[in-house]
Amino acid sequence: VSRPLQRSLVRELARIVGESALLTSPDRLLAYESDGLTAYRAQPSAVVLPRDTEEARKVVTLLHGAGVAVVPRGSGTGLSGGALAGEGSVVVGMSRMNRILELDEANRSARVEPGLVNARLSTAARPLGLYYAPDPSSQSACSIGGNVAENSGGPHCLKYGVTSRYVTGLTMILPNGEVLQPSAPIAGGLEVLGVIVGSEGCFGLVTEVEVRLLPLPESSRTMLAVFDELEQAGMAVTDIISRGLLPAAVEIIDEATIEAVEASVYAAGYPVGAGAALVVEFDGIEAGLDEDLAAAEECCRTAGAVEVRKARDEDERMALWKGRKKAFGAMGRIAPDLMVQDATVPRTRLPEVLRRIGEIGRTYELSLANVFHAGDGNLHPNLLFDRRNPDEVERVERASKEIMEVCVEAGGTITGEHGVGSDKRKYMPLVCGPAELKAMADVKAIFDPDGRFNPGKVLPDGVDAPYAARRRVPSLSTRRAHPEPEEVRNRLDQLLGGDGTAGQDGHDRPMVSPRTSDEVAAVLAVATEEGWNVLPVGHASHPAVKRARSRADLLVSTRALRRVTEYSPADLTLTAEAGLDLETIGETTAAEGQWLPLDPPGPSSATFGAVLATGLGGALAGSYGRPRDMVLGLTCVTGDGRVLRLGGRVVKNVAGFDLVKLMVGSGGRLGIITEATVRLFPLPASERLLVARADRTEDLVETVRRVARAPLVPATLEVGEPRGRSNEAVVAVLIHGAEVAVDEQERIIRAIAPELMPVDPDEGRAILDGLRNLDGEVEVALRIAFRPADVARVIDGVHSVFGGAENVPGLRIGILADQGVLRWGLEGPVVDAERCVRELAALRDRLRTFGAEMIMACPPVGWRRDESSPAGEPLARIERELGEAFDPGRVFMDAHEAAAMAVAGRVA
Amino acid sequence: LERASGGSTAFADVIAREEESLLNCVHCGFCLTVCPTYVRLGDENDSPRGRLYLMKAVVEGRMDARSDAFQTHIDRCLGCRACEPVCPSGVPYGRLLEYARAEAVAARRPGLLTRILLGVFGSRWTTNIAMAGGRILRATGLARPAAGVLPDLLGKVRFGLAMLASTTPGGWEPLSAPESSDGQRPPPPEDRATPRRAGLLLGCVQAGLFSHVNEGTERVLRVNGVESVPVPDQGCCGALHAHAGDLKSARSLARRNIDAFETAAVDVVAVNAAGCGSVMKDYGHLLADDPEYAERAARFSLGVRDVSEVLADAGPRRGAPLPLRVAWDAPCHLLHAQRVAAPPRKVLAAIPELDLVEVENSEECCGGAGIYGLVHEDLGGWIGGDKVAAVINTEASVLTTGNPGCMMQIGAGLIVAGSDVAVVHPVELLDASYRRAGFYDGDGPGRSGGLA
Repeated sequence: VSRPLQRSLVRELARIVGESALLTSPDRLLAYESDGLTAYRAQPSAVVLPRDTEEARKVVTLLHGAGVAVVPRGSGTGLSGGALAGEGSVVVGMSRMNRILELDEANRSARVEPGLVNARLSTAARPLGLYYAPDPSSQSACSIGGNVAENSGGPHCLKYGVTSRYVTGLTMILPNGEVLQPSAPIAGGLEVLGVIVGSEGCFGLVTEVEVRLLPLPESSRTMLAVFDELEQAGMAVTDIISRGLLPAAVEIIDEATIEAVEASVYAAGYPVGAGAALVVEFDGIEAGLDEDLAAAEECCRTAGAVEVRKARDEDERMALWKGRKKAFGAMGRIAPDLMVQDATVPRTRLPEVLRRIGEIGRTYELSLANVFHAGDGNLHPNLLFDRRNPDEVERVERASKEIMEVCVEAGGTITGEHGVGSDKRKYMPLVCGPAELKAMADVKAIFDPDGRFNPGKVLPDGVDAPYAARRRVPSLSTRRAHPEPEEVRNRLDQLLGGDGTAGQDGHDRPMVSPRTSDEVAAVLAVATEEGWNVLPVGHASHPAVKRARSRADLLVSTRALRRVTEYSPADLTLTAEAGLDLETIGETTAAEGQWLPLDPPGPSSATFGAVLATGLGGALAGSYGRPRDMVLGLTCVTGDGRVLRLGGRVVKNVAGFDLVKLMVGSGGRLGIITEATVRLFPLPASERLLVARADRTEDLVETVRRVARAPLVPATLEVGEPRGRSNEAVVAVLIHGAEVAVDEQERIIRAIAPELMPVDPDEGRAILDGLRNLDGEVEVALRIAFRPADVARVIDGVHSVFGGAENVPGLRIGILADQGVLRWGLEGPVVDAERCVRELAALRDRLRTFGAEMIMACPPVGWRRDESSPAGEPLARIERELGEAFDPGRVFMDAHEAAAMAVAGRVA
Repeated sequence: LERASGGSTAFADVIAREEESLLNCVHCGFCLTVCPTYVRLGDENDSPRGRLYLMKAVVEGRMDARSDAFQTHIDRCLGCRACEPVCPSGVPYGRLLEYARAEAVAARRPGLLTRILLGVFGSRWTTNIAMAGGRILRATGLARPAAGVLPDLLGKVRFGLAMLASTTPGGWEPLSAPESSDGQRPPPPEDRATPRRAGLLLGCVQAGLFSHVNEGTERVLRVNGVESVPVPDQGCCGALHAHAGDLKSARSLARRNIDAFETAAVDVVAVNAAGCGSVMKDYGHLLADDPEYAERAARFSLGVRDVSEVLADAGPRRGAPLPLRVAWDAPCHLLHAQRVAAPPRKVLAAIPELDLVEVENSEECCGGAGIYGLVHEDLGGWIGGDKVAAVINTEASVLTTGNPGCMMQIGAGLIVAGSDVAVVHPVELLDASYRRAGFYDGDGPGRSGGLA
């Protein structure tokens, strides 16, 4: 029974949202005592249903003042008890905030309220030829806000990625009522957005979500393969993936699930009595789909499929999917209660893990039904039981724990997409050590110092409270004047045994190259203790590093960390140390027909760690994602010398707050990345570059627009003046895929933009490299993030600087048109620095009039940071406090600036 | 049902028998987003999952059936049953709702208007009197203008008048001359060995205000080889009573109809009102505990068909062109309760040149829901308003739907909104098409409405 709220508080709440949007009577609170996981029940003291951000803000502010806990709730379909509201707390339901605020066809984006049902967004976008890719199985009911909280996946995230890849901006009300509006970190700063996605309502109340939409795939092929044994299906999946096929989805349904689905209204013609059914779907350009499907069919037959069926039309396809997507609800047919488990393992371990899960079911005499996203190794063993049988409930509990242990042992994690919520807090220590749990609690404390938002979720008892005590005060008082280089070297020799790891960098600065994460940790612990300024570097060869090094007391290089720790081609994952260069990684993976599609600005000799630290994607990022989308897990050492092993080695992992996103792109401000696991992709069978040239960039805008509207996603879409204004401008469209698919994409693109002509591979490589490196030394560099549809205005803007681009011989421009990123570099020497500052400030103001943001990467002399950043004070404060939490001694303080310049150097 | 007090006995008994189906709800929430009340109010107590939770709470003794929460939220359900097709666990929501309503009614008397309306339909002579009064008022032609000028304060009266006005037949057919040039002839001799004998449920509102639909139904069935035979002792189907929780009256009405149709010895019971058809297909469950009627009721229910199903089975025969832009809106009790989706489209497809367009969100309830629109004026009006806006958006000149409640709800909404979109039963369209084709020539004049 719930504890009533103070009467005055109830009156105030009613004044804000109206009587009909406030539930306080115990009878009406019953329906809110659990979410999709009914094993947990607790009644809140009230439910509040605000209509808009402003009402929500007032509610949160009021509850903050009253010291009342807040539990955000979407559609209440979650399966981890994430919306469970304890005694004395208030549920803030998003069900009335379910509008689509903006559908932007030109920019392929949407702005929605969090209560919007996932499937409705795709329905609304369909007439524009667009859709929202993340498709959790509950998409007909679950809300976008809930998806953001859980970082939801879905069957198609194998190919398209999970929610975090599609969220480009948020409005979130912090627990104290402040409004935070983090956007895609392309704008510089830390990945505050990325760490909020998947935070399970523990950081604040999201009230608006901006997402990216994709063009609807032209076509799809769906196939059902039937096996006698579940393990055979698992082997077929492993074979499909290791052949380099990239299905949109690969799902396995076992015997018990088939039975349930076929008994339900969603009967899809799954073969009752078979050991397992495998659903494989390919989508994209029509050309090549049949070949892909045939190859997958061969994998299935080799693995022992007794029957292969292909959906003959859209109705059959929808029926196949419906059965899979509604399987969970259909379980109600075969047992009164069920526990839907959720865990991920490396996909090569599927057959073995499935066998062990089967054994666990037999040991505990429980009915088990398996439904899972086999392509990414995400398992959903469903344990069927009757809650009126206490002994059975107990056995379910024990079996669940053993299943989690088996999955973790196999290199997996405790949740792939359902979240930790209430249910899995107790398993968190299986995947996170005390240091990682503490780091997560530190981050939670920055957003929610009083621990009032969704209390009792994610972090296990003993870690999750109290938060306020965790607030750190920067220990600046211990900082002292720069030490003598000799003193630093002596101390390091002492520490590491004087075997040559410590030395100098050739510019008389002390430099150390630790061989393990623990050595890095030891060095940083000393640096914190001594108050040194540390500059993390890779090869320390970059011009920007040269500028920054004079202020560093010590350079910590990752150059001695050069091992490929683990490469599992069949899992499409690679774990490597930070000092390895991208080129070597590329050679390693190419041998297996795979690659890491990262093309950050700068030379390919850049180290893995440096690329992840800057977090910058290149031209390929529009289609393949940025580094943050590819890193599955990493090891990093915080400023005060803690070694954190974050994330894991599996493609889907939502166990705990996503600190990986925070580290990638943090520019060495939070810690030194020493090792990372990334997801790889099969090398495209074929590629082609289409190019059009003109005298000036503005003459190519129409071509860019046409390609951007094409119903496909090319690998890259770039336009620029790589060799300066005096030379020609070029637009380059790179296409990847199977030979026939590449032909077809070329046909589609050239039908709408006939001026684009294919070029031979050598010439193509030269053009792409030119655009990537914007060759030559630059003195001033900046990036502009803009909405893709504004490309013409941005070009106008940058060309107006200095009274017209013709007046600036050393100006280079490269535009990633699909991503809305413009890179701008000015060759030195800048004669009139004052004018340069003035002109660029004017450009920044002009860009802001249409929402474009300028990030000064390599500023001219006299440039001052704009304090009136549109991101606002709360975001700046959170970034600052994140810095303090991971680097309390502020050893990386100056590195912040150096990192910004490293970005600049790479850009230009 | 026995009158229950507090800890519910009758409801608990019924649910105890239905426990497995109630427990089938795994709380997945797939029903939330198709529920018209939840989508608008955002309160899970106003969702199917929430209402099932309330029912469970009453059964488990955690909640009093007299409580405001149970009364309000069970009452506020439209009974549209849109939640049933999307429920993967197959929870028989509609049936559970009827039991819950019975429990709620037993615990606390429903409102006066509800009691009056149910009372009127409970007996044939009161129904006849009410319907005659309605026809007289309709004939004066005052209902429509009055609906336009009455103040908001008299909203119920205004909407009631608009509903009445919306039942006025005719006025929607295209002005072009009837087609007879492309070799249209009366139907050929019967190609069935023996014509099927159909007993048409005449209904209360249908018989009272939509007699033109009933007459048209007989004609189009005959063209398709189905002969309607008189079923003199039939009465109200009991749907309104069952939906409102008056199961006792509903059962009594069901028994009377079973007797009547059995006596008439028909092959099929044809129903042109989706709400009636839905409950008649459920007589088997309604009378499952009646030793005398259980088996007969089950057999009876198997023979009940919506008129669109009967026509679709028979072909139906193609008529003459009817160049109209027509929007189809599926009645909930046809689409969700009876799961009849394709047959009405097949019927309309038999009419050449009829331009069938979709109403956005067509699978959502219109807010009519029996007497809901009158009892829950605000919420019904909100839901109805959305439907009316969607209908107007189609730019169709005619909206067709197969249930008198929906026809009156949408028709009244259109009148209040000042729209001149006509609302007709699909049978009326087919009837007009057949008449234009000359299929009725020789049947004698004056049998049809419209302009022909």
